[in-house]
Amino acid sequence: MAAAELHTAAGNPAASPDPGAIRVENVDVTFGEGTVVALKDVSVDIPQGAFVTILGPSGCGKSTLMRAIADLVPAARGVIDVQGQTPRDARRDRNFSYVFQDATLLPWRTALENVGLPLEVGGGGDAHADPRDLLALVGLKGREDAMPHELSGGMRQRVAIARALVTKPKILLMDEPFGALDEITRDKLNEEVLRIWRETGTTILFVTHSIPEAAFLGEYVLMLAAHPGRVKEFMKVELPPERRLADRDTLEFVQITAHLRKLLEEC
Amino acid sequence: MAEASQIPMPVPAPRVNRMLDAVVARGPALAAVAGLLLLWQGVVWFFEVPEYMAPSPVAVLNAFQENAGTLWLNFWPTFFEAALGFVAGNLVAIALAVWFVHNTTAERAFFPIAVFINTIPIIALAPVLVLIFGNGFAPKIIIAGLICFFPTLVNMVRGLKAVSPATLDLMRVLSASNWEIFWKVRLQSSLPFLFAALKIASTTCVIGAIVAEWIGSNFGLGALIIEATFNFRSPLLYATVFTAALLAVVMFALVSFAEAKLIRWKTSDVH
Repeated sequence: MAAAELHTAAGNPAASPDPGAIRVENVDVTFGEGTVVALKDVSVDIPQGAFVTILGPSGCGKSTLMRAIADLVPAARGVIDVQGQTPRDARRDRNFSYVFQDATLLPWRTALENVGLPLEVGGGGDAHADPRDLLALVGLKGREDAMPHELSGGMRQRVAIARALVTKPKILLMDEPFGALDEITRDKLNEEVLRIWRETGTTILFVTHSIPEAAFLGEYVLMLAAHPGRVKEFMKVELPPERRLADRDTLEFVQITAHLRKLLEEC
Repeated sequence: MAEASQIPMPVPAPRVNRMLDAVVARGPALAAVAGLLLLWQGVVWFFEVPEYMAPSPVAVLNAFQENAGTLWLNFWPTFFEAALGFVAGNLVAIALAVWFVHNTTAERAFFPIAVFINTIPIIALAPVLVLIFGNGFAPKIIIAGLICFFPTLVNMVRGLKAVSPATLDLMRVLSASNWEIFWKVRLQSSLPFLFAALKIASTTCVIGAIVAEWIGSNFGLGALIIEATFNFRSPLLYATVFTAALLAVVMFALVSFAEAKLIRWKTSDVH
């Protein structure tokens, strides 16, 4: 019943005429000289400006897919195309930013100096935003000079998001950014990420292992299956783009999460 | 009660207040030192210990007064040797650590040699260096440097490598060069490790300088220790030992001060 309300976009990548933000085609990623297959024949097209959450059981290669797109691990086979470039060129051109599960702030730098770090290394890139504006955007106005150890886990992750936005990337790769946070902080940051997405128009790939988070944030959900990691389903979430936390108690939302849970059990 | 509230309370000046707090905080330590000195004086007096065997605190204090010029004159060479050895030994150790971190072959080739040099007792090495470099400052500085070298090398290598894989991933995504990673990340994250070693080195370099002076020297606190011992001038010997300890404390305090100035962060975010 729930499935009837979902538009399945898998196998229909040419739905939109404009070139996608990320195109992944028949990609394998292996470790240990081919002995461990992390990803097997993965293909997916991410439309420009989309918010895609990646969901799947542990060991399905969610992070590996992100790392392959970010040029942190090489693809053994297949093609990855990021804004019309190879991952390496896209990285050098600062076409994407990466937010890790750890905030990975440099502890000897203030919040503001941490946000400015991408502008100091690797050539700095062409476009850049004002670090102060970004700290205000993530709700940390007035905490510019705070050291990381003076900030809570949620605040540190906010700084990390501001740092990711400072190069004005076309794509934001978020690898379980709120996985280590408590639920209340996580809910608040979920709403803020949606707000930032609407305000910046950035394409966002967001790895999570939380079904409600995947459904609440994603315009699309990319479901991966494990052993080896492969695409189970790529589907559109039929919810209005303006979402509030309370929407998660609606029947439509619950039907979507129930469907995702059923799919996850089949993986 | 109403009367009491009308009487203005004397408010001590903040500076005096702070000094008072400091004295109160150090009270137990000061009391313990005073107690031990009294005990020492009491034992010497009660058992009628001859002065050449163990002088009383009062005798040592007198020796400080009588030999102030001699102590001062011999303080400077030792300070000079210890400080120069500290700087040279640590600089070489830091440079080697940087090389080792960026070149695994170099680490594999030279680290065992560094360990070997460290295993040679410094007291056995001193005569060798005196034979080579003579009676001047050079062998003392080298020994003070050698004694600093190894702890700093080991700690600095550890510190430069103590960067989380996630931080290195971040720098890679930012297309940072090796130089940028070294300058912006590795060097900063190694500072707490470096200062842990420098604190050890700040006191051991004084030991190195004094041991070197024992082997062959006519100046410095080490030479004065030997001379005072052979002439049974026990109060002077004790005064010299306290001067050497004071030198080590000064070195330690300088390093601690530099650490407090340079490291104003905590590692809560890393791991």
